[in-house]
Amino acid sequence: MRAPDWLRRLWHPRRTIWPTRDGWWTLFAAVGLGVAAVNTGNNLLYLLSSMLLALVVVSGILSEAVIRRLRVAAMLPEEIYAGRPALMGATVTSAKRWVPSYSITIEVLEAGRAARFIYIPRIPAGEGRLITWEATLPRRGRRRLDGLRVTTRFPFGIFLKAGQPTLREDVLVFPAPVPVPTHLLRQLSAGGAVAARRRGRGSDLHNLRDYRAGDDPRLVHWKSSAKTGTLTVRETEAETALDTRIVLGSGGDPARLEEAISEAAALAAHLLGAGAQVELAGRGLWVPPGRGPGQRRRALTALALWDPAAADVGAPPLRPGVREIRVGLG
Amino acid sequence: MSIALAVRLATYLLVLDGIVALVLAGLLGPAGAAVALGALALSWGQEWIRARIRTRGLGAVLVGVAAVASIVDLVYLAETLLDGFVHLLLFLVLARLFTAESVRNAHTIAFLAFFMLVAASSAAFDVGFLGVFIAFLLLSTWLLLLQHVLTESAPAPNRVVAGGAAQWASPRMLMGLAAAAAIATFLITTALFFVIPRVGLAALPFRGKIGSLVTGFSDRVELGAYGQIQNDASIAMRVHVVEGAVEPEQLTALRWRGIVFDQFDGRAWSVGRANRVTLRRSPASDYRVGPFRGRGPQLIQEVFLEPIGTEIIFAAPRALRLETRAAEITLDDMGSIAVPSPSARLHYRIESELETPPTLGALRSGPRQPLDEPAAARYLQLPTMAPRIAALARQVTAGSRDAHEAALRLTAHLSREYRYSLNLERRTKLPPLEEFLFDSRAGNCEYFAAALAVMLRTLGIPSRVVGGFQRGEWNPYGRYFTVRMRDAHAWVEVHLAGAGWVSLDPSPRADAEDGTVGASLYLDALRLRWYRYVINWSLRDQVEVATTIRRQATAWRFDRAALREWLPPRAVVAGALLAAAGVVILVRLRRRRAGGPAARATAALPRFYARLLRALARRGLRPGAGETAREFAARAARALPAAAPALEGVTAGYERVRFGAVTLEASELAALEAAAASLRPSRTR
Repeated sequence: MRAPDWLRRLWHPRRTIWPTRDGWWTLFAAVGLGVAAVNTGNNLLYLLSSMLLALVVVSGILSEAVIRRLRVAAMLPEEIYAGRPALMGATVTSAKRWVPSYSITIEVLEAGRAARFIYIPRIPAGEGRLITWEATLPRRGRRRLDGLRVTTRFPFGIFLKAGQPTLREDVLVFPAPVPVPTHLLRQLSAGGAVAARRRGRGSDLHNLRDYRAGDDPRLVHWKSSAKTGTLTVRETEAETALDTRIVLGSGGDPARLEEAISEAAALAAHLLGAGAQVELAGRGLWVPPGRGPGQRRRALTALALWDPAAADVGAPPLRPGVREIRVGLG
Repeated sequence: MSIALAVRLATYLLVLDGIVALVLAGLLGPAGAAVALGALALSWGQEWIRARIRTRGLGAVLVGVAAVASIVDLVYLAETLLDGFVHLLLFLVLARLFTAESVRNAHTIAFLAFFMLVAASSAAFDVGFLGVFIAFLLLSTWLLLLQHVLTESAPAPNRVVAGGAAQWASPRMLMGLAAAAAIATFLITTALFFVIPRVGLAALPFRGKIGSLVTGFSDRVELGAYGQIQNDASIAMRVHVVEGAVEPEQLTALRWRGIVFDQFDGRAWSVGRANRVTLRRSPASDYRVGPFRGRGPQLIQEVFLEPIGTEIIFAAPRALRLETRAAEITLDDMGSIAVPSPSARLHYRIESELETPPTLGALRSGPRQPLDEPAAARYLQLPTMAPRIAALARQVTAGSRDAHEAALRLTAHLSREYRYSLNLERRTKLPPLEEFLFDSRAGNCEYFAAALAVMLRTLGIPSRVVGGFQRGEWNPYGRYFTVRMRDAHAWVEVHLAGAGWVSLDPSPRADAEDGTVGASLYLDALRLRWYRYVINWSLRDQVEVATTIRRQATAWRFDRAALREWLPPRAVVAGALLAAAGVVILVRLRRRRAGGPAARATAALPRFYARLLRALARRGLRPGAGETAREFAARAARALPAAAPALEGVTAGYERVRFGAVTLEASELAALEAAAASLRPSRTR
């Protein structure tokens, strides 16, 4: 049976209010004066007690006026790596037509550490403010952010009014970036590099062409230039590593396994950067061959989400001309 | 002015306001106020002083000395505990002002200043407290807001200020906010004050101001005693006429009867053999103090008595019914009412049946009710005195047909042949009354009253002297009489067989009207309202207001004719509506020109794109959740292939405006709007 809305609202109010230290003093004084007023019948004490209560009421009304209709939208980075600070962002927009929002504090919540605060003095009606902060997510995988909380102590600093935490979004955290280990680099160089029959930054000559503004002067082919009388530059062929299957082992202790995943990610990124075709295989892991930024993202995503305990999906046999590098085995 | 300076200024003004409150309440004398103000000024300039004088350690010594002095004062010197606490409070405030290092301390100082007002509230009943209270409310909202701005804008290790505090720094905006907050606080305070139920029985205020005992309203009064107060213009009481059969202003002979004297010893009048009874509150929560006779118009008075140090209740004669908070009152057989509780005397409501002069017919045909033997002896009591006084009485009343005529003749003789004077210096060694009648022939009201009462008694007519007040000035703004100390008055009551006790006033004293006009009358009316609606607001008033509202709400019927009568003429209504429309248009234009929210909203969702969305919605095409503009355009183009170019163009325009922050030319906008409009489904007839 579903509880009625009003009951759920009572249990989980849209906003919470909590007195600050000065707020507690104000409340104690109001109650104390109220008791004194009842006891003595002195109307001036009723008047002073009413003033304190009125301050509380006005504080509640004005704080509600500034905090209501504030919309927070996330602006998250495309790639987040475990253990590395990531620049998070959010826009706080006022959807009000007339009344500006004053003195808004955005509380950045992070489990296990003290909240951080971003203070926005004023958001005019209908306008927005961009806020940014750094966050470090320690482990790879799909993680839920602890979110933000919009709070205010406006206008008198006697109550803290806060909305419910927002922006509790799921983000994908890629494995912690590490340099490609030397033993893997050695395995790569053992295979040698192959010319790719396209322009690139290799050392073999691909073509000669006329000099165009912006060309590197070091590429000027002086002999041909002297022959033809016009400045001629060299174009070199791209070099590429061999297409590779990276096989991840799933044994060993968890810390070593995480290291291996990071190494595999680093290796995949390195190879893809060099133009190679890369595929990933392992227990419960299979990323079909591919190259370029799309494949890099696919590989990092698969590694971020890889669960070594998952059922084996079974990789197809190794194609000819594709070498295999095993990471994290033994 | 920087915000920090404004916070400092507001803090000092709050403390000043607290000091004024203490002075108003009489808790701080002129010397104390001067010391406090001097210290306040000194603390304002402490930076300047510190820069010039080596004060290392001096501050600590001064604070130590002041702390010890405060404790000694609290324990040994202060007159009351409240006085001691007030001094301690002042010390704490000033010490905090001298040692405050950051604006954060302003809160503490504001709290201490607030407690100065709390202390003052136990003794300050004057309307001046209203001014102090409003000033405090304004300053405290101002201070709290400023301090909030300053505290929140300060960066901290785990706190970043986006855009810097400069965004706050418009003083006009802050002033406006503080003023709005102060007005809202004031309105809510007012509402709460009147609504909070007065459930507690009003006991004595913490320090009820009893006031010094005023000569003339005790059980024994020397002749000439009123002369001491008859130059005193301070206010004794205010009498608000709640309801009456006659217009109060026309009641020129109105007097406020207080104490009645029956014994005379040649020099002083006193209350001799009065038979006092104690009355307890009746079930209807009022006291019956006199029988209803049905001989005169009724008058309901609400009296606000200043603390003049007497237990007497003053009322227009003859009092019938008294409403007061006191649990009991005393009433003597001469009609004098006394209330022992000082706070209950400060405000009461009393109903009277006004006296009318007895007609000859009534006197002759009325029931003969002569006084019994002991009463007659009591009201005919006389000390040994010169026989020429009785001779004078006989001479003046020779030929009178009855006691009434004799009394009237004596009254007329005294007021015609004798002069009213406040110069009461004795010139002979004769007894005072004899000197007045035969030598000085001038005196104040007590001499006239004593002379008439004594002469009546020599003729065997029972009489007594009444002490009270003359009518006072009529304040038309508040509909009440202002009665001053100088209005203190004495007159005579004579017992006539056919009419009972009848008032006679032989004093030729002119009505104490002075030239109080205009502003002071307004101010006094404000004072009365303050007493009536703030100081004396009670559960009874709350019940009355609630009952009135309920009665009016249930009796309310929509009356078209009355509404038409109430409404202003059509031209005025039309003019007001036009003016309002003009203001709205002007405001909108100004906002749009200034890039206000309306303009920004347009930038967020351009009008041409909104038009496109509306047009497609009519065709049943709406953007899905998470669908981008381009995806939506592609889907719409599949459904409406003919509209594909228009869709593409408008979507591209939207993307340029929305994400590229591009401002389109007017011609481009017009083209896009036309393209969006072309997607509207054509109407079929």
